[in-house]
Parts: sequence; C-alpha cells; structure tokens
Amino acid sequence: MTRTLKLQCAVVVVAALCVHATVASSEEYTEDLLLRPLRDGKVASTFTFTTLLHSSPDDAQHYTLFPLALGQILRAHAVTELHLSLNAGKWDYRQWHYPDHPAVATGAELWAWMPGTGADIDARWAGLRNSLAGLFCASLGSLDQRRTLAPTDAYQPLGDLPVFQYDTANGTTTSTTHHLRHATLPSENVCTENLTPFLKLLPCKDGASTHACSLARLLNPQRLFDADWHGMGVHVRWLGGGEHSEGTIELKLVVQAVLDPVRTSGGRRDWSLTSLFDRVLDGTCPVAGSSTVRVVLPSEDSGGMYRLSPEAETGDAQHPEVEAHARPTPLDVSMAWHTERVFEYPEYGYHGGDGNEYAHAPPTIHRFLHHTAQTHGVLTLSITNPARDALLRVGYLETLPALVVPWVSTLSAEVVSGKDGGMDGRGEYISDLVYHPSRALSPPPSSPPSSFWPSLASLTPSTSTLHSPSLLQATLTVPPNSTLRVQLALSKAFLRYTEHPPDAMRGWDLPGGVLFPRIHTPALLTDLPTPDFSMPYNVIILSCTLLTLVFGSVFNAVTRGWGIVDLSGGGEDNNSGSGVGGDKEMKDGEEEPKGGEERVIKGGDGEGEGGKGRGM
Amino acid sequence: MDARAVFALLVSGRLGLALSFPWLPDALKYDHMLSSPLTARLRLQEGIFLYQHDIDPYSGSAFRHSPLYLSLFTTLLPIISSPTACILLWTAADALAAYSLVRIWRARAGGASERDGLVAAAYLLNPYLFLPSLGLSTSTFENLSILLALMFACEGSSSPALLAFALATHLTPPLSSLLLLLPLLGVLLSGPASSLEDPCTFTSPALRMTRLGAEYLTYVLVLGAAAAIVVGDDTYTLKWGWVGQTWGTSLTLPDLTPNIGLWWYFFTEMFDHFRPFFLGVFSIHLVIYIMPISIKFQHDPLYASFLLIGILATFKAYLTLADPGLFLSMGILFPEVWTYLRHPLPTFLLHLHAALLLPLLHALWTSHGTGNANFFYAATLVMGVANGAGVVDWCWAGMRIAIGGRGGVAGGRKIRVKGGDGEGVLEEEKDEEVKTTHSEWELEEGWEERWEVVQE
Repeated sequence: MTRTLKLQCAVVVVAALCVHATVASSEEYTEDLLLRPLRDGKVASTFTFTTLLHSSPDDAQHYTLFPLALGQILRAHAVTELHLSLNAGKWDYRQWHYPDHPAVATGAELWAWMPGTGADIDARWAGLRNSLAGLFCASLGSLDQRRTLAPTDAYQPLGDLPVFQYDTANGTTTSTTHHLRHATLPSENVCTENLTPFLKLLPCKDGASTHACSLARLLNPQRLFDADWHGMGVHVRWLGGGEHSEGTIELKLVVQAVLDPVRTSGGRRDWSLTSLFDRVLDGTCPVAGSSTVRVVLPSEDSGGMYRLSPEAETGDAQHPEVEAHARPTPLDVSMAWHTERVFEYPEYGYHGGDGNEYAHAPPTIHRFLHHTAQTHGVLTLSITNPARDALLRVGYLETLPALVVPWVSTLSAEVVSGKDGGMDGRGEYISDLVYHPSRALSPPPSSPPSSFWPSLASLTPSTSTLHSPSLLQATLTVPPNSTLRVQLALSKAFLRYTEHPPDAMRGWDLPGGVLFPRIHTPALLTDLPTPDFSMPYNVIILSCTLLTLVFGSVFNAVTRGWGIVDLSGGGEDNNSGSGVGGDKEMKDGEEEPKGGEERVIKGGDGEGEGGKGRGM
Repeated sequence: MDARAVFALLVSGRLGLALSFPWLPDALKYDHMLSSPLTARLRLQEGIFLYQHDIDPYSGSAFRHSPLYLSLFTTLLPIISSPTACILLWTAADALAAYSLVRIWRARAGGASERDGLVAAAYLLNPYLFLPSLGLSTSTFENLSILLALMFACEGSSSPALLAFALATHLTPPLSSLLLLLPLLGVLLSGPASSLEDPCTFTSPALRMTRLGAEYLTYVLVLGAAAAIVVGDDTYTLKWGWVGQTWGTSLTLPDLTPNIGLWWYFFTEMFDHFRPFFLGVFSIHLVIYIMPISIKFQHDPLYASFLLIGILATFKAYLTLADPGLFLSMGILFPEVWTYLRHPLPTFLLHLHAALLLPLLHALWTSHGTGNANFFYAATLVMGVANGAGVVDWCWAGMRIAIGGRGGVAGGRKIRVKGGDGEGVLEEEKDEEVKTTHSEWELEEGWEERWEVVQE
C-alpha cells in the first residue's frame, strides 16, 4: 500500500491473454478497461474495444472480428473516418478533469470525413446517418441538413486521409479531396436500446449466452445507465502505412461511465468491480490480443491512504505493470480506503495546489443564455485560465441552429477578473473570426402530392426550421490567471405553429459550444415564444373579418353616389345633411326632380346627370 | 410664432430628448412595435458587419435591408456603430421629412401660411414617428423618401420626384411603391392644389404619363444595378440575391417576428397548404385599393396618395408604428376635410387604446410570461381597427366635402347658384374666411331649397 501511494499514475494490468484461437492475421482485437477514481469520490471507467483491420479496400468483406454490419455501412457510403457518440449527462471538467476519451458532447454527435464532391457527399451523409440510426436505434435520422455543418478546424481528422488519384478524361491526374460533415442532436437520450446493438458489434458478446467472456461482461445496463454520466462511442479511422501500404482501419468502440460508489455504498468511496458493475470478470475473450484492466491511482492531494487489490506485480517504480496471465478467474479489482469512515467531499473544482494537477487543470468554462425576454437573449461564455503565467489560446466553435439568430456584430469580450495582461479590446481576445450565417435550404422534395398547388408551395420560403445552422468560430486568448467573458446577443425565431414540437413549452436544445481541441460545454435549453396552438381558425376568422370590414367600408364609400336629397316634399325628414349616405341617394340617376319644391344637389358618379354635376 | 422658430424649436427639442437619453436606442432596439425585420437597426448593423467582413449579408436570414443602405453606411456615413451619430442622422432625417411635409403643405395651400409650424409639429411631435426614430428604425428613411417624392411632385419637379420615389421603391416593400405610383404621377400631372370640394374629371395626358412612368422605371433599374454592384464583389459583377431577401420578404413573409400588423399571427397560425393562397390574398388585397381610390380621387391625387398610405398603414406586411404615424401626420395637410370627419374622436380613442395595449400585452407575452401570443394579437387587431377606422373616415370625408352642407356654405370652393331670384356666384378664396363670407352673403335659412347649386 505504501508503495503504490507514492505513484502518480500506476497501472495495474490484470490481463488474460489466451490467444488459442487462430485469428486471421489481417485483423486484431484488443480490449481495455481504464478505471480512474476521481477527486469527488466517483470512478470514471472507460471501456475500449479496438479492432484493427489490415486490408485493402477492395477486399471482399469477409471479416472475422470486424463487425460486418458496420463494415457494410462504411463501405456503402465510402466513409474514411467516422465518429459517433451517444452521451447522457454533463461532463464536469472541473471535478473530473479531461475525459479519457474526448467525445463527451451531450446527446448524439456524428461526424465523418468522406472523399468526394458536394452533392454526392450530402447524399452519402444522409445515407450514413440513416444507416447508423437503424443500426444503433437512435434518432440519428434527424441529424439532417438543419443540423449539419462542416467545422473543419475543430474536427480535424484523427487518422490519415487516403489520397485516391485517378486520371480524368483530359489526361490530368486528380486526387479526391475529403470533406467533413458534422451534426449534433443534444436532446437525444441514450438508453439500453442503444447499448444492445452496440454490444452486438463486439466479437465477444457480453457473455450471457456464450461461455466466452470478455470485458463487455461488465457492461451491466442497470449499473451503466444509473451512472452520473454515461456514453458510448464508435470511432473509425484510417491509419495510412507507407507509400504502398494499403493502410489499416481502426475501429474503437468506447463506453464511458462515471459511477458514484459514494452514493451506492452509503458514504464510502471504496469500490470494486462488483460494487460498480454488480459483476466480476469471469473469463476473457479468446480472440482478444490483449485484455487489460488499468487503474489510474489518485493524486496525492486527494488520494489518502488506500489499498488496491490485487497489487501491482511488475514494472518500474513509476509505471508498474502486472502481467497476470495465470491469474485465476473470477477476477475482481477493488480499491479501499480503510482508514476513512465516511468520504468527505473536497471543495468543488481544482483549487490551489502546486502539483502538476493544478498546472494542467482544464480551464473553467461556463456558458449560459440569459435575458428576461423570450424574444432575444445574450449568450455568454466565461472561460478562466488557471495557469499562472501562460496565455491560454483555444479555438471556440458555436454551431447554432437557425432557431436563434446570432448578432455577430455584438460579439464582445472582456476580462472580468484577474489581470488584464496588457491586452485590451476585442481584437486581442478574439481573433480569427469565422462566421457562416445560416442559409436557407431547399425544401425536401417530398412535398405532399395532395397539395393543391405544389409548385406555389415550393415558392414560399419556410421559416427558420428549414435553415442550416450558423457557424461561429474564433480563437480566444485568455490572459493567465484571469477570466474572459465573451458575449453574443441573439434573437430567437418565431416559428409557425406547425413547426413547434408537440411539447413546445419544454423549449429547444441548443448544442453545446466546443473549445477545441475538444472541450465540450453542456447543451443549453432555450424557450421560444410560442403562439396559441388552438387558434388557427379564430385568427383566420378575426383577421379576415377586419380585412373585409375595412374593404367593405371603403368599397361602400367609393362606389356610392353622392348627392343631397331634399325630402321636404315627403314631409318626414327635412334634414338634408343627415340624408347623405342614406338609402335614397343610391337611386340617383333614376330619380327625377318632382317639382318646384324638391331640388337635388348632386355630385354623384355623373352617369345620366346631364349638366347638373360633373363626375367626381 | 414664426414657422422657422417653431421648426427650430421642435427639432432641437427632438434632438435634446434623444441625446439626453442615450440609452434609449439600445433599450428599444429589440422592440417589435418600433422596428420590423425590414427596418431594425440591429439587423442593419449586422448586415454592415458581415459586408465589411466579406460575408454575403444576404446569405442568412438576418439582413433584409436594401443594399443601398449598405453603400450609404459603409462609404458616406460609416457611423452605424456610434449611437450618438446615429441619433443625429435620424433626427436630421426626421427634420428633413417634416420640412418636406411643410413644403407639401405650402404647395397645396399656395404659399407660406401660419399653419406651417403646426404642420411641422404634426410630424415631429407624433409619437408614432419619433419613437421608431428614437429606436433608430430605418422606417424613418422610408417615410422621408416617400415625403420627398411627394414634395417634389407637388412642386412640379418631376425628375427629382421620380428619383426620390425610385429610392423609396428600393427602401420600402415593393407593394408600397406600387400603391403610391399612380397618385404620385397624378400629382405630377395635375398639381397639388386642393380640389376635393370641386371634383372634376382628370384628363390623362397618356403620352406624358407613359414618359414619366418610363423615367421612374429607369431610375429604379439604375438604382437596382447600383445595388447589385454594391452586393457583388470587387469585379463589378452584378448579384441579384438581395432581391428575394429584400423585396421578396414582404411578399412571402419568411420572418414571423411580431409587429403591429395583421400578417404575422395570421401566417403563424396558417395551415401550410393554404399559406401561398393567403399570401396572395393579402398582397392582392393591397393592390385592389389602387384603382378605386385613384379613380374616385382623380381630382386630388395627393389625397389619393394620402388614403393609400393609410391603406398601407393598415394592411402592410412588416408594419411598424412609423407607417400609421405617416398617415396620421399627413392628415394635417387636409384641414378642409376635418369638419367632415364623422368619427374622429372614436378613431383617436382607438389609437390611444391600441398604443397603450400594444406594449403592455407584448411585455405580458414575451417578458412576464403571464399572457400568450393571443394577447398581443388582440392588441394588433385594435390597432387594425383604429387604422381602418381612420382610413374609412378620411375616405368618406374626402367625398362628403364635395357636396358641402355642413360648417359653411362652400368651405373654400366656388359655386354657382341659380334660382328664382336670378343667378350669382358664391366664391370663397380660403377656408379661413368661410364664416365671414357666409355672414356677408347673409343667406337665409333654407336657401338650398330655393337655389339650385351647380358646382364648378
């Protein structure tokens, strides 16, 4: 115990390598579980299942370990690099530090690099998201053009992009370029129905039905979805070899969860595989090249006196490793703080401290949307640079759906605490500003055929729901040990009543901002002003009534003949003034003066009036 | 008081008000009653920002102003981000508009009169006009261009009038200029003098009218080409993407931001299949008024343009308070009609009602959350009734005046009377002199029964 206490990052490998089966040399499979106790008593666990496929792209798809279902999708849509993550919860960078795998955006996030040209890519992108939606039972189909962008700076390819050269008709050699498509759906929920098809992609399933067990055995849905934060990801990339090598396709299936033993074990932070997952490792995957469980030991200031079991066996003082092929199953890894009766939560976030932890702590980021009115708001990002003496330079990416219109001219930045660092003004804090306003998309071709005037309907542009998102990207420079506040005013769209979702009062999710390389801020909920959904008929009736009222009155006035009718002969009404506009005067033209007593002054339409009145 | 002193006092008062509350433009910039998506200064600022950063401002949905604003505010007056300079510019525009109104009045009344100060006050003190101006809504410039066009037309200078009107065509929605074109040509051809009481048939010099129309069209096209060059890149290629974003917006209503008009909630609540149909109905409904009013008031085209401005102020898409403001302020030009208005007080009270309800119910809906959209819609209906009542009343009164019978014998007209005692001419020069002339003639009660009145 005392030995491990000194180690910043010891690794216990409890692996079982049982490669008895003859695995095709073109495919390799490894699995890995990383457990990391966090300073607030939680445990971050990361399952990584990696499959490497060394093959030329023209091979027939005879896979042994690589999942055929995914391979077919990648082949059909010619995807070079693919990243899909389905996450629930908000990753707390201040307490949990950086995640072991960076794709922690809330909800669904899908991005892919594909070779080809514009329209072709859009078609394949649509096919890709629909295929993945079917494969993973997720609403990825709604990641359509209204949510798709190409933020290439923030989402650089993590692998290599192959260069396909081909000869064009006129003899020149052209190489294809790769394009990025990226979309997020922050409101997507992650649940068992997504995990089941995910596990089916593994060569060793969860072990419930076969005696071949693997680390996936630990993926107990009841514990996984009880976690404070959980998510899964599919990451495919292409790793180029030499000039003539055909390269390698790497598939990583990742499950991350932040489990809370303090909550489940009554105040203590002791954990074991049993307490975290309610299961133990009772076997290994026979086709896995390696199958490891690693534990990152807590840092000194939050570590305390703990015992890790089983103990590390080999390795140097800094990074001991355990080769434990012969370790009997079932295997349970546990960590216990015997001297600690009840876990005391540390102060929130990383504070003080002189260790490396402080120097490399993530910047503190708050992003919120605030204003009192429903019609507009201010998006504020406050970012604190924890470093004592180094400027923090990060890329900042906002992809805002057309539900909100950002006013980029109002973008401003100021240092609200800490030292200014001699910088002043927007030009210093915000640089390399890139902005693509949301643009109108062509309406989907499937307009209802029953529409009476389909051609006319296509002429009327829709409101903001048929627009691409707007993209705002900038480089932020934060002076050391200070907080930068970036503010952006935005207006909210007014949608047609048919464009609101069924639960309109819930509001809309805005995807989180990205500070790249790869810090995701939580999604935001914004409420849009809603119309009254029960009013269509009433509004049509009331507005049209007003329309016809005014039109009728003006029509009445301009078509009316004008004249003064002297009714003294009739004896009832002698008031010529009030007779104007009465019924009788409409008869002008037919009416003849009846005698000397009755005279008519007319200024009517002039028809048949002779010399009496000229036309008005 | 001297008209000039009154004018200077009013303008400096306006300026003082605007400058002593420099936070007002910022506080009012989101106000849906003062500025629409077509006129908001925030959007203009955004468009200029995008334009200066080499992003096509018309590619998004934020900017729907004319490209002419872009060229104005990037070259001649690069002041859009300075509130004080903007306040000065907007006040100057208001002052110029008020001055145009005064000159229209002088042209109509045949020279300077004591009423000049009143006319200027009617424009500069109209809350419907100075509030949008304080909010830096570009509707100020729309009104200015319309008034300039009318002023030049009243003074008989056809080319400046048509140029100003072509400018108005570019700054305002296309239906506005379509409605006002015919009466404007009428003013150019027959002059601004009041002939409401003495209707006569308008004899149309067809050739001249065609020539003026062609001149107007040329100006519009030249300005359009200039706009296309402004939007295009440095190579002087023409880009026409702005046409749909500026003129097309008021026809197809892609932005359903609330305003005081009738369109936004109607098309928020409209069934998708009927949307094109009702968009057509609402647009054509505006056009329908052109011919009846132009024909009925062919003897006084300035009055016809006044009525059509009232129609626009009631039924236009993307209405702001500046539109009914222009209509109400122009009413000052027609004092001879005032006595014939049937219900000026109810109209005024309706406007008062609407002006109080609109901000209140808007705040209840969007800020306090204690009301919903129907509240504000109800207030816009009141506004619609108020505007409609005004238009109908002025339309009625404009024809009612022709037959006299109330408030004096003739009300400024010349009439020939025939009767048993022979023949004579009743003649009055100015409406101010109605009463004295009346008493001088000492017509006994019931003279109308014994005299036949033939209008000239």
